[in-house]
Amino acid sequence: MNGLGSLALYLVVVVAIVGFIMVLTHLLGERHSQRGTAVPYESGIFPTGSARIRFPSDFYLVAMFFVVFDVAAVYLFAWAVAARELGWAGYAAILVFSLETIAGLAYLWKMGAFDWGARRKREHLERHGY
Amino acid sequence: MSASGYLGLLPLAILAGSAILVLFGLAFARQRYETAFALSMAGLVAALASLFFAWTGAPQRFTALLVLDHFAYLSMALSIGATIVVEFMSFAYFRARREENGEFYFLLQLACLGCAVLASSSSFASFFLGLELLSTPLFTLIGYRREREAGLRSAFMYLILAGVSSAFLLFGMALVYLETGSLDITTAARAASGSASFTVLAGLALMTVGIGFKLAVAPFHVWTPDIYDAAPAPATAFIATASKGAMAILLVRFFAPAGIAGAGPFAWIFAAIAGISMFTGNILALREGNLKRLLAYSSIAHLGYILVAFVASGNQGSAAVSFYLVAYFVSNLAAFAAVAGLSTNEAEADSIEHYRGLAKGHPWAAAALTASLLSLAGLPLTAGFMGKFVIFEAGAGAFLWVLVVILAVNSTISIFYYLRVVSALYRPASEAGTGSMSPRPAMPALAAIALAAMAIAIIVIGAMPGSLMAFIREVARDIASNAAAAL
Amino acid sequence: MAAVSFEYGLALAAILFILGLVGLLTRRSLVFMLLCVEIMLNAAGFAFIVAGARWGGADGQVMFIFLLTMAAAEVAVGLALILVLSGRVPGAVPDEAAAGGEPAPVDMRSLLDTDYQKDAQAGRTRP
Repeated sequence: MNGLGSLALYLVVVVAIVGFIMVLTHLLGERHSQRGTAVPYESGIFPTGSARIRFPSDFYLVAMFFVVFDVAAVYLFAWAVAARELGWAGYAAILVFSLETIAGLAYLWKMGAFDWGARRKREHLERHGY
Repeated sequence: MSASGYLGLLPLAILAGSAILVLFGLAFARQRYETAFALSMAGLVAALASLFFAWTGAPQRFTALLVLDHFAYLSMALSIGATIVVEFMSFAYFRARREENGEFYFLLQLACLGCAVLASSSSFASFFLGLELLSTPLFTLIGYRREREAGLRSAFMYLILAGVSSAFLLFGMALVYLETGSLDITTAARAASGSASFTVLAGLALMTVGIGFKLAVAPFHVWTPDIYDAAPAPATAFIATASKGAMAILLVRFFAPAGIAGAGPFAWIFAAIAGISMFTGNILALREGNLKRLLAYSSIAHLGYILVAFVASGNQGSAAVSFYLVAYFVSNLAAFAAVAGLSTNEAEADSIEHYRGLAKGHPWAAAALTASLLSLAGLPLTAGFMGKFVIFEAGAGAFLWVLVVILAVNSTISIFYYLRVVSALYRPASEAGTGSMSPRPAMPALAAIALAAMAIAIIVIGAMPGSLMAFIREVARDIASNAAAAL
Repeated sequence: MAAVSFEYGLALAAILFILGLVGLLTRRSLVFMLLCVEIMLNAAGFAFIVAGARWGGADGQVMFIFLLTMAAAEVAVGLALILVLSGRVPGAVPDEAAAGGEPAPVDMRSLLDTDYQKDAQAGRTRP
């Protein structure tokens, strides 16, 4: 049997199993119609308010730090998979890269980019008066 | 890699290392603004000095990414010099809120590093890295003054446009790479020069769109006036000079060796871009009342002039591009130094009305600004005149008669609007301060030094261009022989 | 199993690129413009992967990593600009004092929808 044939068989089996389960639950399951049944995320809890809330902009910082350091990790992985072939020259290069990343991190830390929330607000208020 | 090999890398290493030092200075020093300025300036001067040591080792290739020849060092010297002048004019411009403004120097230095990498790149990878190292700080530099909404909007616009042009550029690179199997610039150029396949031609066309955006030549120029106007004057000066200059240098390096610029479809495309840019820039500038926007339009036209020399190609063309860049750099830096020096924290000195009667209060600043504007117009005894002369020579040498005639016509058009500004300087100030600042602030010392140095350079290059010209011709011959060796 | 011909990959990259370009030209909201630029960049990155696969080299993937880095940096700056800009749209962000000194909240609707900004400026509210 070639690749496409087994894929087709797999598809048929998947459809059959899912269809069987759906028909069975339709026949055996109990029916009820209450206040929260038609609401999304039905698990007995009614949603309170709109999902379109206002996010504190501090979350932006968290997201961006994640992205930035995630990308730094990409370089580390790219080096790591070929570390032996690259030898000491590669090690020196990744060392420089890491040191530069750490320098950036130190700057961010010192500038208070990592302590978000109420404490930062308070300290900023104490220091600058606004 | 020998010791002299690493010596050749010294300018780039110093720029990068001192950028990190500036970052530490910003984080830990008490007087952030002054520390950042001092550290950054020290780094730039050290990098400039290291060029002398690196010069003897050239030309050499550093891995597959960088080619460190005399041409690269010359353009590095230009970018670093321009950045130093920009920092001089920034120091007073940003002093009002110095607590927040130290980062400007860090970003400027990163952008300068980007220019240096761009000028010495020999592969699409380093080309792209240099370009992004240059553009990403620029987004922030344009919107640096957070209290100005126009600046923020322009920064966002520039970000989107830079992203789009990068996408075009990268897609074009990918197409060329798909066909040639190499990221090397000379290999790509060689593939394009022969009987090029459709894929390569399409790739090069996409790359031309991307490069055109960065150079702001017509028809990709629409963003220029808004961004020149909204950005702080020192940032505008950097965009007008170092950023565009590095791109023009790269264009020469990419297209010149294979002679693409001189023959075939791309010669026609670049010739058309040059002609349209000259007319668009100069005609739009005629009725402009804002000095920064006027300089934006004039820069479109100047890049058109540079493309004439680029299409002329060959040794003479490369030398003409480099020489014109020097003239364009000093003239523009002088003009923006005047704008930055006369701006206050509250108001940007951008309306031409602001400059009425400048000769009375600030005779020296008015004289220097006059020299700069006359140089941009290309009147004799200025650097701009010699630059235009060299381009004429290159164009005539390559028998580009149509372009040379367009260049002559446009030079004449441009004289009108430059002289309009010059005449404003010497007219009496309008009463009741309609736009003119009263009392006019004193010119800050560092900005005055930058302005004076650039004005002197304009006159010196204009009066005695011989040795500089010989030097640049030597360097340009160097790039041609390197390219021949690489091919 | 035969390798997929690189023309298909290139066609997909071209389609993505054009989608991004069309989106950029039709959308007027800042966040969507940023998204469309990212789509165009990713299309270029995909073209590099396809080209790299054709030659069996790592160069295409190297370029993709560079591109990823640049896209991350650009988005970081772009979103920061959007945040600062959104703070200036009247009505999009309430007065800080009124919010009791909490960090300035950002109404996501104002970022996704420029019509909403206009409404907010005009003092209108929408359901």
